[in-house]
Amino acid sequence: MEEVELKMTQSKRVALCVTCLVDQVVPEIGVATVQLLRRAGYEVEFPEAQTCCGQPFFNSGFREQATDLAKRTVEIFEPFEAVVLPSGSCAAMIRVEYPHLLEEWPEWQHRAEELAAKTYELSEFLVNYADWIPRGDFEEIRLTYHDSCHMCRLLGLRDEPRQLLERVGGRISEMSESDRCCGFGGLFSVRMPEVSNAMTAEKLHQACDAGVEALVTSDPGCLTQMRGLTEGSSIKVEHIATVLEEVTR
Amino acid sequence: MTATLSEFRQRAKTAIEDVRLQGALDGGTGKLWEMRRLTFEELPNSDALRDHFKAIRSATLRNLVEHLETFEKNATAAGANVHWARDGTDAREIVISIAQEHGVKLVTKSKSMATEEIHLNEALAEVGVEAIETDLGEYIVQLAEETPSHIIAPAIHKTRHEAAELLGRESGRSLSPDDLTTLTGEARKLLRKRFLTAGMGISGGNMIVAETGSVVLVTNEGNARMVTSVPPVHIAVVGIEKIIPTWDAAAIWLSLLARSASGQPLSIYTSVITGPSRAGDPDGTGEVHIVLLDNGRSELVGTKYEEVLQCIRCGACLNVCPVYREAGGHSYDSPYPGPIGAVVTPLLLGRENYEALPHASSLCGACKEVCPVRIDLPRMLLELRADQVAERTIPWKERKAEEAGAFVFKHEKLMRFMTNAARLAQRPFSRDGKLHLPQRLNPALERQLPALAKRSFREMWKSGELEEK
Amino acid sequence: MSAREEILERLRRKASNVEMPGAWQSQRNFPDLAERFTASLTAVRGEVRRAENLEAALVEVGTILEEVSAKTVVANNESPLSDVALAERWPECAWHIVGQSSGDLREFCAGADVGLSGVEAALAETGSLVVHSGVGKSRLATLLPPVHIALVPVSCLAPDIFTWTASRNQEAPMPSNLNLISGPSKSADIEFTLTLGVHGPKRLVAVLYE
Ligand code: SF4
Repeated sequence: MEEVELKMTQSKRVALCVTCLVDQVVPEIGVATVQLLRRAGYEVEFPEAQTCCGQPFFNSGFREQATDLAKRTVEIFEPFEAVVLPSGSCAAMIRVEYPHLLEEWPEWQHRAEELAAKTYELSEFLVNYADWIPRGDFEEIRLTYHDSCHMCRLLGLRDEPRQLLERVGGRISEMSESDRCCGFGGLFSVRMPEVSNAMTAEKLHQACDAGVEALVTSDPGCLTQMRGLTEGSSIKVEHIATVLEEVTR
Repeated sequence: MTATLSEFRQRAKTAIEDVRLQGALDGGTGKLWEMRRLTFEELPNSDALRDHFKAIRSATLRNLVEHLETFEKNATAAGANVHWARDGTDAREIVISIAQEHGVKLVTKSKSMATEEIHLNEALAEVGVEAIETDLGEYIVQLAEETPSHIIAPAIHKTRHEAAELLGRESGRSLSPDDLTTLTGEARKLLRKRFLTAGMGISGGNMIVAETGSVVLVTNEGNARMVTSVPPVHIAVVGIEKIIPTWDAAAIWLSLLARSASGQPLSIYTSVITGPSRAGDPDGTGEVHIVLLDNGRSELVGTKYEEVLQCIRCGACLNVCPVYREAGGHSYDSPYPGPIGAVVTPLLLGRENYEALPHASSLCGACKEVCPVRIDLPRMLLELRADQVAERTIPWKERKAEEAGAFVFKHEKLMRFMTNAARLAQRPFSRDGKLHLPQRLNPALERQLPALAKRSFREMWKSGELEEK
Repeated sequence: MSAREEILERLRRKASNVEMPGAWQSQRNFPDLAERFTASLTAVRGEVRRAENLEAALVEVGTILEEVSAKTVVANNESPLSDVALAERWPECAWHIVGQSSGDLREFCAGADVGLSGVEAALAETGSLVVHSGVGKSRLATLLPPVHIALVPVSCLAPDIFTWTASRNQEAPMPSNLNLISGPSKSADIEFTLTLGVHGPKRLVAVLYE
């Protein structure tokens, strides 16, 4: 795990980096994220120039394209005191990969490090920095949690989402391998669809074995991947933001 | 041997559709992984031990030349013959000429990845030397005329029924698949005969120790002991990176290797060979040859791929790899499958032959987490992919698509325009947030790709409807 | 240029000197080495018999020979066996004493019921025996027979592999063959099911004596 010194934000304002996938495909996650941050007492800003953090290009080996998008993202978000993303892998891209990617340009690397130090994945932000403790009588929700790869292995975030889910009545029944990859991996999922789908099927299988109705994750990529194979199954795949938002309304 | 994208996909598909193989892969890798977890839990300070070991491996590679020279000096002093092979051709020639010098017709072999890498058995067969694999799994695989599919469990893809049939055919008896003791007993008998008549033994080397000039071999069955003690001549073919300076360091290697490979605190037999039999030894080999194989390794030293040479071939990364666990070992068509194989195969055996392997990963990082040497395999897969792009060895269609995609994302307005156009285009297929494409148009096959939402987040934000009330 | 020179030259160009970390210090602190040794070897299906002294250990050996109805036994001529008149003690067995008996050692080992040896050292953590080749010490005696009995004095137990390599006498040359034996020969190559005695001995019995 890459150690980044995280700076505590003093002001109660955060910028939302919504991620391209949430923006275009699952905007309800972005809406829920805004609501949650507000409930935790923050004012949310949305810099409209933002597009994509560059991760898909980086993962396919298109360094030049990834670099351009990384620089662009640094420029857009550096004016803010804190940046929150409803996506573990995009948060990892900024926190862990940007400083490496921009190594060749010390000035940019420095700026990337500064940004990395104030970038947070949503559940991490709510638990460790906002100290958000929702109040109310929550009904028990039986669910299982999928640890997305980059969030748990690159950012070391495993407890935070679980804590939040438990705070709102979630009863987590763990899968046998909660951190086994869901099969997404960006372009991998269409480059090797047979393998990718088999991996997803295995994941859903484990979720069904956990005997729950909801499979919750913090990554929109994993979410859309897993939803793609749930036709006809009783399991519902949900993002942590929408789950939290709904029960704390 | 090759793995183009379509070859890999086709082989993986076959593996995925093989229900029995899937069961074996899941069961086998799961068991090894669990046993690994338990032995590591029992080892005090194992994280620090791994860091310590990584530092040793890394420092050793930085000065490989010195350690190899020390090894050569000490091995020679102990009476072994040290040979150097630039590549497979060199190594095969060395082995064949030793075999011919001694008029060898039969060779017994102990599991060795390096000899698989250089296709030694085929080369020996061409000059009329029969080479018998003696690791039980490898023997079964050899009888089936197949190749191993796992670094430490070569026959993970075979059932006991297949094993019974193959061994039965060889021994001319019908064997029950349900009586493993008899099955193994039969293999013992068959191979025992071979050991006692072989003119030469060939092994790999799990490591070579510079300070004493020793070759170290690790097995559970005892076949490496056989191969290196029974025939009159022993040849060990070892990659130059498998060197360790001292016995203190070798002890860490042994300890981590067995734990990572199979969850054992130590393998059953650790055999250390330091030259041929000495005067007064009642038995043993009369001649020991060590072939130090480069085959592309020295080229990697000092590059961004150097770290891959720290690998101790424990196979732990295979057991945790979700791609390996679905696709199985044969999809890689290399002696080195799984995550380590996806990196090292293109590097050692030709990138042009294995263009699919850098992509045979979702970059989940489970391999790096489990690796006893903490090799950053995902990072190296990314580097290999970046090299493909830089060398323009990816299909131009893909390159154009990626370049266009990035261009769009660099311009927010253009992105809005393009996504809105796509919204219109997807209309006939879009339902409940998913694209219901006809199968032949769907790159994700039976999985439904997500559809673009009716309205994007940015549109909602702009419209003011998300403003705080 | 020879292959050797070519390889070494390439490496030489790229070599740099990095400090090599020191030896790893064993983190083990077993209250009772014999107990740990017994537990570890037993866990991998090896057997351990405890004895008060050498004489009692030999009685144990006799019991095992009887148990397996041993008819032919090969024994290394090493401590503590060299001081024992084995053939007189067990006249019902045919003996080959390494380096003393006439006849083909290899052939005898291939047909022997039991191999009997001493050890150079033993490791408590992993239940391992260290055996060397050398004068009177056959490699095949501990390998070919289906049963291997080793006499292990408690005094030779080291906590683990790290303490063992640390105590290695740097001056003494390595034997041409050294084996760490940590259990009976085993395989799980067929459907991950454990079977014993694939190539080496099916049974490994350590007679541990004070
Ligand atoms: S890369 Fe690491 S885990 Fe994989 S085989 Fe090599 S040492 Fe083992």
